[in-house]
Amino acid sequence: MFRFHAFSTSSLHGFCPRSARTGRWGRNALWFTCLLTISFLITGCEGIQSALNPAGRDAALIAQLYWWMVGGAVIIWLIVVGLAVYALQINATEHDYNVTRFWVIGGGAVAPTIILTVLLVYGLSMMPTLLEPAPEGSQTITVIGKQWWWKVRYHLPEGQAVELANEIRLPVDEPVQFYLESADVIHSFWIPSLGGKVDMLPGRQTRLTLHPQRTGIYRGVCAEYCGGSHAKMSFEVVVMERDAFDTWLEQQQAPAKSASNELAERGESVFLAHGCGACHTIRGTKANGKIAPDLTHYGSRLRLAASALPQTRDALKEWIAHPKQTKPGVHMPSFALLSEDDLTALAAYLEGLQ
Amino acid sequence: MKQRLITLGVFLAVVGLGGILVVVLGLAPVQASSGHWPITKWFLEFSMSRSIATYSTGIKVPELDRPELVLKGAGHYETGCSPCHGSPTLRHPRVAANMLPQPPYLPEEVHHWDPAELFLITKHGIMLAGMPAFPSLKRDDEVWALVAFLQEYQEMEKEDYQKLVFGNTWNASQEGDALQEKLSDGTPLVVIQACIRCHGLQGEGRGQGAFPKLAGQNAEYLSRSLEAYINGDRHSGIMEPIAARLDVATIKMISDYYAGLELHTEESNDKQKALLESIERGKVIATEGLPNEEIPSCADCHGPGEVDISPKYPRLAGQYREYLVLQLELFHDRNRGGAEAAELMHEVADQLTESHREDVAAYYASLKRDDEGASSSGE
Repeated sequence: MFRFHAFSTSSLHGFCPRSARTGRWGRNALWFTCLLTISFLITGCEGIQSALNPAGRDAALIAQLYWWMVGGAVIIWLIVVGLAVYALQINATEHDYNVTRFWVIGGGAVAPTIILTVLLVYGLSMMPTLLEPAPEGSQTITVIGKQWWWKVRYHLPEGQAVELANEIRLPVDEPVQFYLESADVIHSFWIPSLGGKVDMLPGRQTRLTLHPQRTGIYRGVCAEYCGGSHAKMSFEVVVMERDAFDTWLEQQQAPAKSASNELAERGESVFLAHGCGACHTIRGTKANGKIAPDLTHYGSRLRLAASALPQTRDALKEWIAHPKQTKPGVHMPSFALLSEDDLTALAAYLEGLQ
Repeated sequence: MKQRLITLGVFLAVVGLGGILVVVLGLAPVQASSGHWPITKWFLEFSMSRSIATYSTGIKVPELDRPELVLKGAGHYETGCSPCHGSPTLRHPRVAANMLPQPPYLPEEVHHWDPAELFLITKHGIMLAGMPAFPSLKRDDEVWALVAFLQEYQEMEKEDYQKLVFGNTWNASQEGDALQEKLSDGTPLVVIQACIRCHGLQGEGRGQGAFPKLAGQNAEYLSRSLEAYINGDRHSGIMEPIAARLDVATIKMISDYYAGLELHTEESNDKQKALLESIERGKVIATEGLPNEEIPSCADCHGPGEVDISPKYPRLAGQYREYLVLQLELFHDRNRGGAEAAELMHEVADQLTESHREDVAAYYASLKRDDEGASSSGE
């Protein structure tokens, strides 16, 4: 993530021309400020959601294109500014007609055409690689965008599928095929650390292939404005070693474990008695709703409410009792009618669904 | 010219000051007993009828020739209107008789107004005339029920009125009738006084879906609903004034009483046959939901099923179809309100279309209370 506050404090001083003319101390201060600004910017590029710190083949290609563009843009900028400064210095005498024409046509039409053509060819040449479907036998995942969460369906080798929500785990160094759909409005699926973004369109299926290359936890986001809580529609992406991934996927296929203690047992009956199962599924119980996120292994997820909240008991209780405070307009109704004890029991039960 | 203007100005100032003086000295009479001068009376009545004619323009009148509307309207008329306007059983209410203006005896007056005007008067009241606005401004359906009743009211005999308002409790004084039995079998007095006239002797409603069945309903749902009427969280011009008179202990007594009654449901077979397809569609919605249309199942909160459901949610099996349709419409338009659990219904009601509402209501109306426990009702 870029930290814009870094610009606001140091960079203004850094580009102030007066400070460059105030002798040695001034020059040192300028360099110091520049270094500070650059270091702020570079640290800002790290983190779980940065397209400039790629952890996958596709993101790396896109980052490469980006750096070529930035490099080219800096050179062009220096030439243009250099020419402008030069133009201020020269004497305003009559110009040679041919020289003038050379600069206007060459600099204004020919050069941009050549540069942009090169850039376009270079950019387009990446498309076949980026769009290439994953080979047969790769892990296939369907992701369906809904206001404001993600329905995730892992396709298994035997033609079956297991339905999860709001978290995606991937094996490292293997291509993964995504099929993207939308249940309501246009969303866009983007894991900046792993690759480019692809729109999710109602009534259509789009494709995306990703090649994660580094294990770790990353964040995916919705990159197309999709309603009031668009900004609260994210998901965690965990890239794991193949063995760990297999173990995880097997565990996700299993039905929910039954409640392990008295509190969780009470939580389970609170869940069923208050009709949570009308919208949510917990495989292995009577809860079989198809409208809201599957909660069978809710406790194994890293974050809550499509990554809008941390995975803590207090956050979960707050979410159940007042979901619209976190996500305005969310379809989950408020369960403020539950007593404090019922809420605690319910949260304990859900946490236990590992 | 200038001289004339000055004279006029002085004259107006004297008149204005004189008027203020009359008010400040308290010379203007506000006693109801003093009556109006004929010209004042004419002027006030003329203003009123002009205002009502103007403001009632554009009000769309629904179908009023429906027995359940008349029945519901009659129930509220007895509670809310007859203390001032009288009724065939109370021709001359004495307290209201000396109001100014005197509330008219409606069978003789109602023909002056068309239904839209009656709606306006009933819903919004009449300023300075002692006619209050309807207790809940969210329940136009209840106001229309009163208007529907008033359409029939003109030619109503005393006996018909009593039958309409009191149902099978109307001949209370006769020996050996059902009410006498109720009085001796331990039924709380408040239930006899406040509830049974509309909700039936056995909490079975009054037919036609005008008033909900209460027998066998969850006690917690009933008491929370009554509290919601008192707090203004559930909207009803009919129930709010009745609930307002109840205290916590009485609410508990009433709720426990109705929860303890058994609901005997028999919907006529003819009616069920006509609705068979609707009931089947409703069963799918109620038990499985329509996930593609974002409609959750009803059964997870209202049964049937094997799970013990929260007593804060109402039981619906055997409830009147008309009543259920109305509640879903009210939820959809945010006009019902309710206790805390009502919030849950808003998300659902937003997804239901008119035909969905009718289908699920037909399904629940067709269920027997005994079906509730079984996950697959024996159909």
